[in-house]
Amino acid sequence: MATEVLEKTSDDAPASGKPFTRFDLEKETELRFEVEAGDASEQVEMELVTGMAEVFGSELNRNKKYTFGPGSKIAVFTWQGCTVNLYGKPEVAYVSKDTPMLLYLNTHAALEQMRKQAERDNERGPRVMVVGPTDVGKSTVCRLLLSYAVRVGRRPTFVELDVGQSGVSVPGTVSALCIERPADVEEGFSVQAPLVYHFGSTTPGTNIKLYNKLTSCLAEVFSQRCEMNRKASVGGCIINTCGWVKGSGYQALVHCASTFQVDVVLVLDHERLYNELKRDLPHFVRVVLLPKSGGVVERSKECRRETRDEKIREYFYGFRGISFFPFSYEVRFSDVRIYKIGAPSIPDSCLPLGMSQDDTQLKLVPVTPGRDLTYHVLSVSSVDDGDEDARKSIVESPVCGFIVVTQVDTQTQVMKVLSPAPRPLPRHTLLIMDIRFMDMK
Amino acid sequence: MANPNKTCNAEKFYNEILSPSELFAARSRSHKIPVRGQKDFFPDDSKKQREQLQQTLEEHWSLVSEERVERLGNLVKATWNPNEQIVELQTPAGKFWQTMGFSSDGKQFLLPEEALYLMECGNVLVFYKELPLSIQDGYEMFLSSDTVGLQQFQVFGHLKRLGYVVHRFDPSLEPSSYVRQLNLPQSHERGGRTLKRKRSVSPTSSQTETRAESPAEKMEEDSKLPESLLVTSAEPPEAQNASISSADDSRVRTWRTWNGPGRDSEKTLITASSSARSRWDFSTIFFPDLGHGGQRPSCMAPPDPSLLPADLTAGVCDVAAWRHKINLRHVKMSAKERKREQHKHRRWRDMNKDKEVRRCSNWAEYHDLLARRQAKPRGQPAHLWNAEVEPLHNPTRPLSTAELLDKISVIKSTHLLDGASRLKGADEWRICFNVYQPDSVADFRKSNPGKPYARMCVCSFSGPVPDLGVIKQLTFQSGDVPVVFAVVDHGDISFYSFKDFQLPRDVYP
Repeated sequence: MATEVLEKTSDDAPASGKPFTRFDLEKETELRFEVEAGDASEQVEMELVTGMAEVFGSELNRNKKYTFGPGSKIAVFTWQGCTVNLYGKPEVAYVSKDTPMLLYLNTHAALEQMRKQAERDNERGPRVMVVGPTDVGKSTVCRLLLSYAVRVGRRPTFVELDVGQSGVSVPGTVSALCIERPADVEEGFSVQAPLVYHFGSTTPGTNIKLYNKLTSCLAEVFSQRCEMNRKASVGGCIINTCGWVKGSGYQALVHCASTFQVDVVLVLDHERLYNELKRDLPHFVRVVLLPKSGGVVERSKECRRETRDEKIREYFYGFRGISFFPFSYEVRFSDVRIYKIGAPSIPDSCLPLGMSQDDTQLKLVPVTPGRDLTYHVLSVSSVDDGDEDARKSIVESPVCGFIVVTQVDTQTQVMKVLSPAPRPLPRHTLLIMDIRFMDMK
Repeated sequence: MANPNKTCNAEKFYNEILSPSELFAARSRSHKIPVRGQKDFFPDDSKKQREQLQQTLEEHWSLVSEERVERLGNLVKATWNPNEQIVELQTPAGKFWQTMGFSSDGKQFLLPEEALYLMECGNVLVFYKELPLSIQDGYEMFLSSDTVGLQQFQVFGHLKRLGYVVHRFDPSLEPSSYVRQLNLPQSHERGGRTLKRKRSVSPTSSQTETRAESPAEKMEEDSKLPESLLVTSAEPPEAQNASISSADDSRVRTWRTWNGPGRDSEKTLITASSSARSRWDFSTIFFPDLGHGGQRPSCMAPPDPSLLPADLTAGVCDVAAWRHKINLRHVKMSAKERKREQHKHRRWRDMNKDKEVRRCSNWAEYHDLLARRQAKPRGQPAHLWNAEVEPLHNPTRPLSTAELLDKISVIKSTHLLDGASRLKGADEWRICFNVYQPDSVADFRKSNPGKPYARMCVCSFSGPVPDLGVIKQLTFQSGDVPVVFAVVDHGDISFYSFKDFQLPRDVYP
């Protein structure tokens, strides 16, 4: 039933002189192409010639060239039919009719109905959680629904709970972002003022208590924002979760559903998870099973690592078009205090009376700076650790930004850091992450 | 050096100069003090006991009736001044001057009890109206209610014979607690005392005068003390208050947190704004659900264009086709694994089968239900907790030993000095002496005696026992020097003191 329609006509090259391929798409079909990974490969450019098309919910402008770097996986979908030119040599490019875009659109329509009802009744809008195993296209579905919502005039909030592949900030964080315009085709969502919390590693399994705690913090902040801002309340939120759906990961999902008080859960391509959620969540939560798109590609570990690296590089150096200029300066050990969240676990019999294991996982452990600090990403917490009470709140407070330690000199007790802003550091409480970044340009 | 015997026998009675034979006899007397044996507790009417008693009585009498022999040149001569109740030395003082007596106006004086003690030792010969006084005279004249009583003198003598340095206690010279806090260097107390002596008519009147002043001083101290009391004893209740309020805060702050069943619960609070949300009517809101739960339309009509972004037109959606494509990966599990999965999930029940859960229409009500369910945690049997008399403590919650002891304590512990500043001194109980260590005699300075080793309060064995108020007042008056009660029982002296201590309350403080 899924027909592959491929039309390839090599026209004479226009004035640009570059070889290109032209694709004519019928309505409700999409063009999928991938750019080869690796530094040696060249970029691929795409241009919409006629008709209307969108990439993951963001509309394309006609006669504008969009550039895609190595490792990109793009799908151009059209509702009414269009013609697209591709410049350069993508690794693979084909047209497919086999897309669940209609289902996603219907989902968006249903959400919009809920929002309309909320607006009418002066109540809060729908909160959606997107769950599923790894590599089913959760981030893409989130992006799609958010862009559609903005195009209809809403102001939804994007909550990113995927610590491995974060769509908002560097990996190892959970964040929330208010969406005010559709995602940029090349860059993604514009990150103007996100709320970022430090988690510390790329899997929630390293400290599941902290993960749950941060989820609760985000839920609280979001609820407060909904009370303040009527538009944000009606817009609701869309929560992107990480791909861990068994055991503690599943419990984390249920906890997240509970703290955010979600109304709809979209399960992508996992029937068992769907059944379990139907059983474990109260009946007033609508659990919906959706298929994944055929264009979803499974990413290897290498690929993920590269994407993470790319995200951190983007934080410091900016996206291709707009360059940022980070600063590199020296910081004395005595000027800062470095902490790690989570003490190593000890058996219950060794704990003092009255103290439980939970406390150790959320504990702030000071770290003495040394040679092994090199290349680590550090978050700059927005809270100063003046006294005991302040220190307890560091775990639950957002971060101002991130720095990378490029060099450590233990003799002079000084370390060199790469920072997005000039010296001095805005705060001197730093939290260490398990993620490393080597700045090779 | 024996003076030649010039007197005749008739004058011998009045003459103190001894004949050589008498002198020799006196010199060669045994200087041993008889040892006191164990006391016979009750008479048993036996001859042996009576004889023993008689023998000991005779020994005692012979000892007491011994005449003291002393060199004339060694004796320090002094005169008794009954108006000022003071003994004035005529000849220069001897070794005893290191620790006893005081000088003023260029003359050396002794306090009556010191003089009497020295008389008994045979160091001083006191004259009154040109006549030497006997020991009996001394007892009669020196010891009165104005100066030092008999019992007090007994204590004085006892301590002096043991070697202690004993001075009279002057409450006005004691620094107040504020001054002690300032930790000033020791001022010359001696000078103050002599000045006081000069001013007053008699030592006793000076004492009463200073005592009248000390209540005024105590008023000053009172204003200082409440601060220190607040600092020390109010700290525990303050700390408790702080911990209680922070516990409340944490409970207020954690709203909208829900821990699944089986975890420790925190109380959830509902904010004022969360009224009951209307339930989404999912019969009109169509979600393209491919699962078993929702409606299963085979195809979906195109959505309302008002819901879609502009310029978007969609066609009919064929849902049924997608159903086959869901999760094409089949999880292959061996029989063992399947059994393990079943075993793991045998307890899982659909929570929506619960009637109460079905009655909840939104998250707020659901959280309420959970909170209510977990308000009575498991492990609390109803027959224990719902009765009139509850168990003291919930075993699932941690509690330190100190808090547990607090719960069961009936009497609150107190310190000896609590409220001591407000007590007025009683007349019959007062500190009499300052006692200083005997081994510091070498570097003892009368002008700057330093901190006494203890302070004595003398009372009789047959008299009343000091009550708590008296003890508090005396301890407070004494400052940081311990107060010892010397209880006199017909010459036998026992020493008692009250100390502050704390029962151990906690393993981990």
